[in-house]
Amino acid sequence: MGGPPYDCLANPLGAVRLTFEKAIGSGTQTHPSAFDGKDWGALDVFRHFLFQESGLSQVPILNPKTMRWVRPYTLVRYRGMIQDMLGNEIYAGAYKDGYLWRTNKFMDISQYPMGSSPDMCVWERRLLYCVPVPGQSSWTEPSCEMNLNQGMDQSSQNRGKRRRMDDEDDPMDVVHDDEVKSSPTTKKMREDGFPFSSPESRDSKTGSSCTSMATFQYVDKDYLPCLVKIYDSPESELKLNDVVEFIGVLSFDSELALEKDDELSNNFYDDALVYLPPNKLQVPRLHCIIHRKLAVHDFLQGFPIMEPKPHLVKEIREALFRHLTAVLGNDGVAAHFMLLHLLSKVHARAFDVFVGKLSLNLIGLSKESVSVFGIRLSQAVKNLLPFTHCIPLTLEYLNTASLAPKRDYQTNRLIRGVLQLPEGSHLMVDETQLESGTLNSKGIENTKLLKNLVEFQKVEYDFQYCKMEMAADVQLLIFSEGKSNIVPADVVIPFQPSSLGSSEIPVAEAVEAWRWYLATVQSLPYSIGSEMQKEVEDDLVAARQADRSLGSQDFNRWMTMARLVSTSFGETSLSMEHWQMVKELERLRMERLK
Amino acid sequence: MKDLDFNADKVLAKEFLSNFADATGEAKYMNILQDVANHKIRAVQIDLEDLFNYKDLDEEFLRRVTENTRRYIGIFAGAIDELLPEPTEAFPDDDHDILMTQRAEDGTNNADGSDPHQKMPPEIKRYYEVYIRAPSKGRAFTIREVKASYIGQLVKISGIVTRCSDVKPLMQVAVYTCEECGYEIYQDVTARVFMPLFECPSKRCSVNKTKGNLILQLRASKFLKFQEAKIQELAEHVPKGHIPRSMTVHFRGELTRKVAPGDVVELSGIFLPIPYTGFRAMRAGLVADTYLEAMSVTHFKKKYEEYELRGDEEEQIARLAEDGDIYNKLARSLAPEIYGHEDVKKALLLLLVGAPHRKLKDGMKIRGDLHICLMGDPGVAKSQLLKHIINVAPRGVYTTGRGSSGVGLTAAVQKDPVTNEMVLEGGALVLADMGICAIDEFDKMDESDRTAIHEVMEQQTVSIAKAGITTSLNARTALLAAANPAWGRYDLRRTPAENINLPPALLSRFDLLWLILDRADMDSDLEMARHVVYVHQNKESPALGFTPLEPSVLRAYISAARRLSPYVPKELEEYIATAYSSIRQEEAKSNTPHSYTTVRTLLSILRISAALARLRFSETVAQSDVDEALRLMQMSKFSLYSDDRQKSGLDAISDIYSILRDEAARANKMDVSYAHALNWISRKGYGEAQLKECLEEYAALNVWQIHPHTFDIRFIDA
Repeated sequence: MGGPPYDCLANPLGAVRLTFEKAIGSGTQTHPSAFDGKDWGALDVFRHFLFQESGLSQVPILNPKTMRWVRPYTLVRYRGMIQDMLGNEIYAGAYKDGYLWRTNKFMDISQYPMGSSPDMCVWERRLLYCVPVPGQSSWTEPSCEMNLNQGMDQSSQNRGKRRRMDDEDDPMDVVHDDEVKSSPTTKKMREDGFPFSSPESRDSKTGSSCTSMATFQYVDKDYLPCLVKIYDSPESELKLNDVVEFIGVLSFDSELALEKDDELSNNFYDDALVYLPPNKLQVPRLHCIIHRKLAVHDFLQGFPIMEPKPHLVKEIREALFRHLTAVLGNDGVAAHFMLLHLLSKVHARAFDVFVGKLSLNLIGLSKESVSVFGIRLSQAVKNLLPFTHCIPLTLEYLNTASLAPKRDYQTNRLIRGVLQLPEGSHLMVDETQLESGTLNSKGIENTKLLKNLVEFQKVEYDFQYCKMEMAADVQLLIFSEGKSNIVPADVVIPFQPSSLGSSEIPVAEAVEAWRWYLATVQSLPYSIGSEMQKEVEDDLVAARQADRSLGSQDFNRWMTMARLVSTSFGETSLSMEHWQMVKELERLRMERLK
Repeated sequence: MKDLDFNADKVLAKEFLSNFADATGEAKYMNILQDVANHKIRAVQIDLEDLFNYKDLDEEFLRRVTENTRRYIGIFAGAIDELLPEPTEAFPDDDHDILMTQRAEDGTNNADGSDPHQKMPPEIKRYYEVYIRAPSKGRAFTIREVKASYIGQLVKISGIVTRCSDVKPLMQVAVYTCEECGYEIYQDVTARVFMPLFECPSKRCSVNKTKGNLILQLRASKFLKFQEAKIQELAEHVPKGHIPRSMTVHFRGELTRKVAPGDVVELSGIFLPIPYTGFRAMRAGLVADTYLEAMSVTHFKKKYEEYELRGDEEEQIARLAEDGDIYNKLARSLAPEIYGHEDVKKALLLLLVGAPHRKLKDGMKIRGDLHICLMGDPGVAKSQLLKHIINVAPRGVYTTGRGSSGVGLTAAVQKDPVTNEMVLEGGALVLADMGICAIDEFDKMDESDRTAIHEVMEQQTVSIAKAGITTSLNARTALLAAANPAWGRYDLRRTPAENINLPPALLSRFDLLWLILDRADMDSDLEMARHVVYVHQNKESPALGFTPLEPSVLRAYISAARRLSPYVPKELEEYIATAYSSIRQEEAKSNTPHSYTTVRTLLSILRISAALARLRFSETVAQSDVDEALRLMQMSKFSLYSDDRQKSGLDAISDIYSILRDEAARANKMDVSYAHALNWISRKGYGEAQLKECLEEYAALNVWQIHPHTFDIRFIDA
């Protein structure tokens, strides 16, 4: 194959057209209906361009900044979470223009006049509504510089300031923005107008503003949802809440005048219940050619992907442990559990057993100490994990916030709730601010949701006529004074800091290494040898014989801890040493609980 | 050429309508047409199934009807026009008819025939509407499965109605009169929007070049009732990790007002694109929206009695019924993830099946629903059992004793905030009428509900005398309750009566009462440890050792079983009476009576036996049914008084027998080696001598055969 006669990057549709003509022309005049909307070879061309010729890095990532200069009908990337699925759309896939077959795949508006010719193939595509990943840490943004030190400095000063910093935007961008526009309006919009920035910003005041209108109030300059049209992938491949990178053709109508007009007709039609084409959404549309699911590794920059060598892993583990100990005011036991907690992730679900989940409840924290350790800890977690969230568990928040996603039948959309989170999210719940009072029905619903999430790792989505349980993989860290009964965690540990210990700021490379370590070790395979299995079984039975109050939950916790301890050392099977370590950790914890 | 085709098909349609005879030999469609002619009904439903069963079936014709349904509705309507008989009964003329007669007279006067706008469209004359219905057999599509390739075809889908618009008039034929020439001008309206005519197109006007002004005649135009609704996929049809799809449905004419939000329906209809018009067409570019033009609506029946079996299910049930072990198999398939509790599951199965209601000559009713109470330590999967049962039951309500709303369990009278009227609102028990009501945290029930529940459990009604409303609501429900012991955990040092925090009057109303305890037992501990380790090792639950039946199969089987109403044959009456009196005797002898054996107990025995007979698809209760009923009652009692097991109650021999039988059933074997048997019973604290005794005794009863040398056991298949 010679060099392609088209530019995949600047004119992807040209490439599509060429391959289409080639496919039609080649052989015995294939009728386009034979494709039935499936690929005719265009995908291979793009795959070749993106991955063999490493064109991927040239493809701009769609975000509020790049939105300003990318041109429509070029190839772009979009990284986001699938927030809603809008169903199928039927389009005229191929039609005859005179004697020539034309295709409309990857397009919204046909390039050639389309007469009402009877020669038309009707194909379908799937519509996905994607939003930026909720709670995405700033270090995952690929284009921005690492502003780690600056971020940490400022954040430790006060809570209010941190809040602003942790919005999904890049601090650099705010500055840039302010120069261009008058800052008050931008700020105002972000704080009051949009309810889906990170939950801290939606304190009690804005928490309730999650109305049906909100989903498409595209006013925030730093928040870019995207409507993705999927052509060539089986339905089972993309699921709700997946974090995916879509590569495809951008089309965005800036004809705002038209939109206005459309809005009018919407109101008229809404009465008649006509299903509105999602075209009216004021979001960019991406005609997806190729997509890939993103893992934490895809967000890591600058750290080479390498084999998890045992000595290297141990080294990094040691350093990370030291860092956590320092953050936790020299509480070694808590740091051990914290490390295991950061590594936890749901590996399997079997009826009532959840392999790998380990939520952590730090007790003995008061309002005062939370302002020191809680903030320090949340900063540390944000620095280490890609998707983090924080919920201030106040009475008002519980009574007003909408935690569960809800289907709005007026607009036929799924309205995002705080708990609609992608797999591998981390959620911090600060219960120290909770005071006694009455919960309303919403509050009860919300506490039930939190409890279900921590116990069964699932969230009930409210479809009004039915509730649908969606599996979640969200690890929770709870700060509370006494044991939290609203969010009953797997591990409850009294927090006993011995010093305030000014947490030194870790070097950027070290942080990078830790992130790599957490992501890598988390997905290590793991098994229990048959001999070890016997040993463990006997230990469990003996423990239960000695203490009748132990149940399968405790067993589960130990087994999960055993797994996490082993993998944290980069090992793939349980050894006696690590099993002993688990028992020792549990013993130390029990002692504290007494 | 196409036209010819359609004309030929019209002939086919005519033939079909006039010649089709249903199973009884009646000319089904001609009868319908007669009713239409007499203005008795409006809807003519053409069943594709009839077309399929038609003796002169033309496969091609059937295919064309399914794939181009909308066109064929017109063809059938045309055929009906020609076939419509004269009315045989007088009916009052409405203004429509008066208008029609007048038109008919006019038509002869001034029809110049050549003008299409002046020809009266057939729609305006029709009093009826034609619907083509998809065959009721065969599985309905989920919304997800209806793809672009189905456009224009008749499809059948199931879903839940989420939104409904008001019923509005939709113009079908617009009628104008011309100011100049006075002619009536007709315009067919096919879309939801149309461009009205302004100039008279009639010959006279165009010849005279007068440009006659047209006035739309609302009275003369034909309108259809029109309703739009949205349906959404049922939760169980949505693949994991996806969200339900929805679809727009248009209801016309007689089909309007058939659905309300929340209804689960099966629809057949034509999948059609909505053509965009005007500006939107330009904007929308290439995409088209789709909707379903409804042809028939079927509500899903949620009652056992109305449960319709699908073709393959009937076969499957027949096959299952032949299986001798169906009782165990069904019981095990209830909540298969929950390990053990075989007898509890059996009891729950019987609760699902129930016994027939009896109404005595003097009007007294005897309930057939079984009530079961599960009591036990926290964390023994009581709630999970309850929830599973609700899932299996076609009509089930799960609630907690505290209730979730002010209505509570029974019913409440509430003031309507708008009208200030007092309205009656049914609670969980009333909502579960003809179904199953599962009440978790039964012990924490409100005092007011607890008194009312006495009535619900025996009389199966809820009486209300509040705020000027005195009434009684039906609550024919089987009650499944779960309760925690009085002190949170079961305290073995106290008597069962103390542990159970419910008054005897209430307890006696339960047919079976189970205590599920978290016992300190090496076996179960090891089982648990193994389970946990296995799951962590293999990331999945251990294999069950059997394939549980699907809940849908269970439901079908149970609904089939519930159709029977077995009776107790004369021979058995004596047997049951003796059994009952012996229980009474035993109780009288014992100095600490544990149970309250009353006439209710006798009724319970009868109910359980009847339920067992139903499971066997038998019209008569057999002695084995009574034996099993007695055994279950015994077991339920022993679950409460297990400590006394060795002392009184079940003797060692029968206990050993039940251990062996259960273990063999679990392993699904007919043979048990002696070593195994010894192993099993020694865990429960019995000796070898007792085992030998048991083997002999039951071998004499011909329950099993004992190998003369090895003492291996072989169960004799009953």
